[in-house]
Amino acid sequence: MIRISPQTAKQWRRFRTIKRGYYSLIAIGVLLALSLVAELLVNNRALVVRYEGSYYFPTYSAFMPGTAFGLDYDYETDYRALKVLFQDQPGNWVLMPPVPYSAFETNFKLDAFPPYPPRLEDRHFLGTDVSGRDVLARLVYGFRLAMAFSVILLACNYIVGIAIGCAMGFWGGAFDLVFQRVIEIWSNVPFLYVIMIVASVVVPTFWTLVTVMVIFGWMGMTWYMRTSTYKEKAREYVAAARALGASNTRIVFRHILPNTVSIVVTFIPFSVASGVTALTALDYLGFGLPPPTPSWGELLAQGTANLQAPWIVTSVVAAMTIVLLMVAYIGEAIREAFDPKKFTFYE
Amino acid sequence: MTRTLVLLLLSLAVASCGQEEAAQGPVVSAGDAIDLVMETRFVADLPTYDSVPLPDGLEWVTNEEDPVWSSPEARRGGAFNTFMSSFPLTLRTVGPDSNDAFSAYKRFTNLGLVTVHPNTLDFIPQLATHWAFDPDAKTVYYQLDPDARWSDGKPVTADDYLFTIDFMRSEHIVAPWYNNHYTNQIVNVVKHDDLTISVEGATVKPREELLFEYGLSPTPRHFHRLDENWVRDYNWRSEPGTGAYRISRVEKGQFVEFERNEAWWGDEKRYLANRFNPQTVRVTVIRDMNVAWEYFLRGELDAFPVLMPHFWHEKARGPAFDNGYINRIKFYTDTPQPSAGMWLNTADPILADKNIRLGLAHAMNVELMLKTVLRGDYERLRTHHDGYWDYSNPDIQPREFDLRRAGEYLDAAGFATRGPDGIRMRGNQRLALRVVYSTQEHTPRLVLLREEARKAGIELNLQLLDSSAAFKQILEKQHQITWMAWGASLTPRFWQHYHSDNAGKPQTNNITNTADPEMDRLIMEYRAASDKETRVRLAHTLEQMVHDSGVFIPTYKIPYTREAYWRWLRLPEHYASRTTEAIFNPLVEGLFWIDQDIKAETLAARARGETFEVVNITDTTWRGE
Repeated sequence: MIRISPQTAKQWRRFRTIKRGYYSLIAIGVLLALSLVAELLVNNRALVVRYEGSYYFPTYSAFMPGTAFGLDYDYETDYRALKVLFQDQPGNWVLMPPVPYSAFETNFKLDAFPPYPPRLEDRHFLGTDVSGRDVLARLVYGFRLAMAFSVILLACNYIVGIAIGCAMGFWGGAFDLVFQRVIEIWSNVPFLYVIMIVASVVVPTFWTLVTVMVIFGWMGMTWYMRTSTYKEKAREYVAAARALGASNTRIVFRHILPNTVSIVVTFIPFSVASGVTALTALDYLGFGLPPPTPSWGELLAQGTANLQAPWIVTSVVAAMTIVLLMVAYIGEAIREAFDPKKFTFYE
Repeated sequence: MTRTLVLLLLSLAVASCGQEEAAQGPVVSAGDAIDLVMETRFVADLPTYDSVPLPDGLEWVTNEEDPVWSSPEARRGGAFNTFMSSFPLTLRTVGPDSNDAFSAYKRFTNLGLVTVHPNTLDFIPQLATHWAFDPDAKTVYYQLDPDARWSDGKPVTADDYLFTIDFMRSEHIVAPWYNNHYTNQIVNVVKHDDLTISVEGATVKPREELLFEYGLSPTPRHFHRLDENWVRDYNWRSEPGTGAYRISRVEKGQFVEFERNEAWWGDEKRYLANRFNPQTVRVTVIRDMNVAWEYFLRGELDAFPVLMPHFWHEKARGPAFDNGYINRIKFYTDTPQPSAGMWLNTADPILADKNIRLGLAHAMNVELMLKTVLRGDYERLRTHHDGYWDYSNPDIQPREFDLRRAGEYLDAAGFATRGPDGIRMRGNQRLALRVVYSTQEHTPRLVLLREEARKAGIELNLQLLDSSAAFKQILEKQHQITWMAWGASLTPRFWQHYHSDNAGKPQTNNITNTADPEMDRLIMEYRAASDKETRVRLAHTLEQMVHDSGVFIPTYKIPYTREAYWRWLRLPEHYASRTTEAIFNPLVEGLFWIDQDIKAETLAARARGETFEVVNITDTTWRGE
């Protein structure tokens, strides 16, 4: 059972009063929640198929060959075509998601070449990219991937960073000294070059990218944790706990860490933003996830290479700006809510 | 801990020093620029060779009658700017990492003994003025041109050709393909006097093919010191050549510049005169085609190949074209086609099964790709050797996209059930294959093939690598499928691509790892045959076997070349030749020239907003059918 301390409750109330950050948090939360069920909203698989008296729900099930619906092929059913076909068959019907395209399928027309501009009749609300894939679908799945990437990256970075930073501050002495130097040296390894080298040798997967970025990204948090642990360690309540016979583990986990949590929390939104930008930048440069993974960076690269199709670049730039802006607003609001000084001047 | 740190620091320092040294070698260096020293005279005793008397009764032939295809109006001078997508890993023409996209430039700084006239397809003199055939149908005698000079001014003599053999057979160059070719294909080179040599091939061949297959380029013996350090020492040295250009400047990672040799000996020769006109040629690294295109539109690159449909149809439009500053040319050619497609590595456990290879071929919707992504501009390549005049097997048709047949083959291979994502399974193994390629612009093509292949239950995972890294993987035979094209040759080359001698070892061109005893036998027979009829028949049989084995899925051919170029580049009356591959390659044909007056006029007009007549050339002189 999580107990909310009065302190936290107060911070939360304060956060809520900062409207910009609060609404951004709600918006991002909704977007994240929606992206988790993106298959229900943006997908080339139907939500429901009613065929000869039975109901089928293909969204999350194993793939259904065309033969399952009386078609003559055994690969994945083309539900959009099925919907058209079923219009003349009483009793049979297909319910498609609002955006009836997946992020991977290439959709060519016979009379024109992609990229196709946005058209409501086609349900390509933001048009298609140069391979004829729906831009909105790629944005949505790209968003989910970028957010997942940056949250996982953040978790890993923070676990390593907090552990080492805390240990440096708590133990001090030679351990602290050595690790300071290690971190100084390690921070100077040009991380982008490492990624480039890795990407030219193997095709980076989601997890190799996370690993490489954690290896070169954990240092940031250590400095803050080290200083704040030093600070907390010298406080009377730590001395009191020690006098009561508390073990090191208990002191660190029960006393010091909870008291440094405000630092960690204020950094989270900015780390999320930097994770998203890092992945986008890598994909843009071609060192990120392999094609045809839906990604904002890849869309951005396509958009800038095809300025004659402005809907690609506009969509992705707008999406990025909005998301990063909202994350920044949240960060700003958290920082303010956690600031013990309510006013920077005396009223 | 501290000791480890010191060690770490030390090793870092050593590593960086090592890198510097390897990069620059003993060559004088100023910052990142490398001053290429070509007249390094560390070869103390030049290798010399003994002469053997010439046999009697040789009938010397030459060819000074074929039409000249360069233009007498060509003007010398100017700087030609072009680009490459990645920086070469070495300037050597042989040895590890030398066979990259830049190698075409390197090789064309040197000429061969004779060459093929690009329009008549007859042989014409180059470094040799006359040639004669021995009755054994294996040996050709050459009289060398006494005027030929290395780019450092030294005369080219018979010894340089004999040195080629020593050089190419040396284990120090770490080039098994060359070692083999110059041992088992070219078996002997004999000096008869300082300007006469003979080249003996391993097998009897028709006369034209003797000249072509057993061709030889000289190697500057005063330049190379062959020892175990050769590969490293010669990474960044520019070898003197016999061609019009030499590498004069290298800025690591940025550009390579060629300069025209002063008073080049070829300027006086019938077929070499009025060619290779720009004074300097700078090949700059621009890693992204789209960025390169922007440079081109600004006039910082002089010409741009616009074979790719979206470049031709969408990008090659706009003010610079409408105002007549940039011209467009589409020139149909009649020439062996590069073999573009998917090469399947039979050493891979999945692709070792022929049924899977054939199933895969039927699952590739190349027709749809041609029609949609490529806008109907390209044509389907039929087989590995397509467009080789008589040698191409006219009966072979590429496998069509046919899900039923793909399904039959894949069922037979054991991939009969489908997993929850629709991909075929054999036990716990998914039918997922990796495709390595190196051109980002090809991604839409592969994305379409990938989506269509899913219908057959095959997953293709696309692996886009930098071209050097991709080549490395392919030549080390680490790939499953590679999406690439081999350049064309005059006659089909089966041995290097399909003989078991080249299978299962790195740095050879048998990237499918084909090893079939029956094919080996026929390939050796093909190599040994001296009359054209037999060779053509064997080539047809072999081509059929390649087709049947399904190791290659042919994709497209482009029976024309298309370029956009600034109007100051001028072309001869007939623009290009029957076998032109790139109109604006200054080192290969080099027919165009830069008109400085027109350049000044164009730039001034662009600044003032004046326009010229739009030039949009389509030439069908050599279009077949």
